Amino acid sequence: MSEAWQRLVRSRHGALGLILLFPVVLAVLAGPLLAPHNADAISFAARLHPPSARFWLGTDEFGRDILSRILVGARASVAVAVTATLLGTISGGLLGTLSAYLGGMADEAIMRTIDAMMAIPALLLALLVLSSLGKGMFDASLAIAIAFAPGMARITRSVALATRQQDYVNAAIARGESAGWIVLREMGPNVIAPLVVESTIRVAFAVMLVATLGFLGLGAQPPAPDWGLMIAEARQYLHQAPWMIVAPGAAIALTAVGFNLLGDGLRDALNPRVG
Amino acid sequence: MSAVLEIENYSLDYATAAGNLHVLDQVSLAIAPGEVLGLVGESGSGKSSLAAAIMRLLPTNAREQGGAIRLGGENLRSLDQPRLRAIRGRRIAMVFQDPATSLNPTLPLGRQLSEVMECHLGLARGPARTEALALLRRVEITDPEAIFHRFPHEVSGGEKQRVVIATALACHPELVLLDEPTTALDVLTGARILDLLSRLRTEFSMSGLYISHDLSLVSRFADRVAVIRRGRIVEEQPAPTIFRAPLEPYTRQLADAVPRPERRLVTDAAGENELLGLTGLSVRHGRPVLLPNRVKIAVEAVSFAIREREIFGMIGESGSGKSSLARALAGILPFRGEVRFVGRSIARPAEMDRAYRRAVQIVFQNPDSSLNPRHRVAQILARPLRLFGATPAEIPRLLEDVHLPASHARRFPHELSGGEKQRVAIARAFAARPRLLICDEITASLDVSVQSRVIELLLALRRTHGTAYLFITHDLNLLRQIAHRVAVMYRGRLVDLQYTAALGGTDVHAYTRDLITASPAPVSG
Repeated sequence: MSEAWQRLVRSRHGALGLILLFPVVLAVLAGPLLAPHNADAISFAARLHPPSARFWLGTDEFGRDILSRILVGARASVAVAVTATLLGTISGGLLGTLSAYLGGMADEAIMRTIDAMMAIPALLLALLVLSSLGKGMFDASLAIAIAFAPGMARITRSVALATRQQDYVNAAIARGESAGWIVLREMGPNVIAPLVVESTIRVAFAVMLVATLGFLGLGAQPPAPDWGLMIAEARQYLHQAPWMIVAPGAAIALTAVGFNLLGDGLRDALNPRVG
Repeated sequence: MSAVLEIENYSLDYATAAGNLHVLDQVSLAIAPGEVLGLVGESGSGKSSLAAAIMRLLPTNAREQGGAIRLGGENLRSLDQPRLRAIRGRRIAMVFQDPATSLNPTLPLGRQLSEVMECHLGLARGPARTEALALLRRVEITDPEAIFHRFPHEVSGGEKQRVVIATALACHPELVLLDEPTTALDVLTGARILDLLSRLRTEFSMSGLYISHDLSLVSRFADRVAVIRRGRIVEEQPAPTIFRAPLEPYTRQLADAVPRPERRLVTDAAGENELLGLTGLSVRHGRPVLLPNRVKIAVEAVSFAIREREIFGMIGESGSGKSSLARALAGILPFRGEVRFVGRSIARPAEMDRAYRRAVQIVFQNPDSSLNPRHRVAQILARPLRLFGATPAEIPRLLEDVHLPASHARRFPHELSGGEKQRVAIARAFAARPRLLICDEITASLDVSVQSRVIELLLALRRTHGTAYLFITHDLNLLRQIAHRVAVMYRGRLVDLQYTAALGGTDVHAYTRDLITASPAPVSG
């Protein structure tokens, strides 16, 4: 693991990704402590204040400090998105690899079920899950995970099908290994690279999905400083106070680009052939 | 200055993360008109890089360190892309190793052939087509009209290679580069392609560079042979002498590595008792559920028995069902019929219990795909050890058994050479202390010299452990050196089963006789 870490730090993409994600991680861990103002303090005197020495990123329509709201909101937005993506990737990845390994009727059954799930748009599926689970941060991430899993399973299966043909899998079958071992230990490590890249792209998508759920009243609720919610609220002030939408948008973009670069770096770092 | 190709003090490096890698070092060669020069070397010796340098198809990290490559007196290194394009295919042509990848799968074969002539000779479609058909006839394609409209996947490997050769010869090039043109083909097809090339040589008064790792093959086809080792030409001699009287110890080593049927490597007899027997074993590919006609019969009702400590050779061309049979016996493919193992009857793969799976091990053809690229050698070996009741503490001993240093345990497969990888695969099989080892063309992807070392290793392991081998190969000469009996497979059926000594006799199957003629014994020294 330490070798992979060293390769990650040494690779240009990985290092840049880590640098970009550093403020994001800092905000997730210590956002409320770093915030210069109370994120929920309403001040009508300072309504729609442009960026200044006092409010670095300006204020919103209730005079709340946007920088503070972004720092405080990082935990909810990023943590939910990352958890959801991880859950979706792991379950989808396992399902796809298992499907490729089993082949035949089992493969058909799993993949046709997944096709049926993919026919429902991700947002609609998440809404469906949320309406039966209830609202809350954990439920939101579970709903997004379930919405992500079918796509992940499809991607993994296509890679795993090629891996399935390799003789080291045949060698494991000839040894009499269990399906669990073959899927987890023989095939798993070899299908992970495209998964890592795909899932880092999806983190950004998940941030937006969390926001959308909040906007629809099923994720974060309005006073909460959720990034997506902030964008949704800032929409109507786009011409009066563009900084309101720019700041959370930039935060999401920073997270997305950071995770993408990290994904590129991870793909190389996890491959023993390079480096 | 009458040479067609003249290479003078040519040196080439590859820039890698670990520094410059010297690939070619002061190489000087000359090919006279009508002459074929053989270039022999192991993988990694730089022989393919030299071909790439002549074609000016070097990778971007290549750094040329001086020297000249002259085609008819013109230095190819100083030419720009448009002028190189006019030379490639027109004045220098190349025949690649694998016809399956050197033809475009989305174009009909005739189109690929006539396009060369339209492009380089300025022929219109009609005349190009006529020319192409004539060429196809000259490379002995039986029905040129039909082949013309077919796509690469619709014809056999031999026919594909014939089309590639026709394409190469289409513009009567001054120089033809042949990069192991028979390696990817099976024995009979390879022998026929070589015959064809010999005939076309005189017909087209071809000058060429024939690249191969097989000294005996090259010395049959080329006029002169140059031996390359680590980027340096170590010896250059006329073909008849180099094989019989090599000057350099390295050349001698290459010559000795070529299997010679008259030199037996195994002297002891096989045991008396049956170890593994098959009765009416059949293997089918595909699922019969929806489309019954898509089921392909790979092996049809094969019966034979392997005795204890026997080396049971099996030969046949690609698609003859050898590998399917091996995989069925290793419990990878489902089969019908009966398998008996030391008297115990097994009717389905599910009945192959741990004892059977331990006693019957398999080593695959391609070590690149049989070792998990994400596992270190130690992990690869530890698993079967643990599974079959030993401890990972035995890893150093296992590695020592296959003549690898114990420090290799920490390496990943990609950090090993082809021969080393195959040794690890053998060590993995021996971790289970098998009684029967199935070797599925395990030396096919290795150089001749590496092959001979792997064979030595297998024979040494057999002496210590008394293991029986089911040795599958397409190299009959090799089998005649080591096998007790030889089984011949043809289109899924067992057509012949002979004691090795009886192979030269009269009551062998006609197909076996064809195989014997197609694998001529090297000129012995």
